[in-house]
Amino acid sequence: MTVFSLVIINKAGGLIYNKTFHEGGLNKISTNDYLVLAGTFHGVHAITARLNPIKPVAQPPAPGSNELPGRPEPSSGLEVMETENFRMQCFNTLTGTKFLLFTETTQTNVDVTIKRIYDLYADYVMKNPFYSLEMPIRCDIFDRKLLSYIREINNR
Amino acid sequence: MAVYTFYIFDRHTECVYVKSWTPPTQAAGASPAPAISAGSDDAKLVFGTVFSLRNMARKLGGDDDAFISYRTGQYKLHFYETPANLRFVMITDTASASMRNVLHQIYINLWVEYVVKNPLAPVEHKGGAGIKNELFERGLDQFIRGMM
Repeated sequence: MTVFSLVIINKAGGLIYNKTFHEGGLNKISTNDYLVLAGTFHGVHAITARLNPIKPVAQPPAPGSNELPGRPEPSSGLEVMETENFRMQCFNTLTGTKFLLFTETTQTNVDVTIKRIYDLYADYVMKNPFYSLEMPIRCDIFDRKLLSYIREINNR
Repeated sequence: MAVYTFYIFDRHTECVYVKSWTPPTQAAGASPAPAISAGSDDAKLVFGTVFSLRNMARKLGGDDDAFISYRTGQYKLHFYETPANLRFVMITDTASASMRNVLHQIYINLWVEYVVKNPLAPVEHKGGAGIKNELFERGLDQFIRGMM
């Protein structure tokens, strides 16, 4: 059970957070490469949502009522990607911020982990009055809490 | 399990083969869901996606890493690349297990048998030349319908 790294991408496709928890899991790449990777993934995510082979259908209004049919649920983009050496889970928040968690291929319950990381982000980044939106995250307490949470998972 | 679409891309990144199976309608009472056109635009988007994800996998996982599949809330895309950069892509529903061996079987049992060993098929399949022969088409359709 190993979580390799976490990447957070803002709604414009910019890299705002990047942390490696386990050396040797993924190749070491430069921050510049991570920026490129974040931008590329942002685009790919938008395309994967468009490629949906099943056209979303709006829920028909209740019979008898005069309401117009509602909007269909938008199709979600890429959620899990699998390769031979790692597995990547993507969590897209309602505001378009993306959390990418790179783990071992056999990792389980990643969605629980990623939701917990989102909680930490909400508590220690969004509630920090000195944090400016969409900018790189530099919050000590978020780093500390995240590190101790991931260490707990990696040592399990 | 349902298979929606199947693509083959050659080493020049050209889409040489597309086949669609009609997706099931979503819910009874709802208007039938129209299938996306298997037009060339979709094939280009699919290729762009798998190309970017494959490069991303190689960059992070090392040069020996291979991109296998991705899943969204609505569908799952499976990918298999041969050493000669021939790329097989299959789009299925989200419940299906790994189709990597299935794509490998299609390569061995259908592509090699009916396209590569066909003396009338050209070496380069520009515009899909030599692939749309009866044996390959029928073999693929039977194979996919057998899984559904």
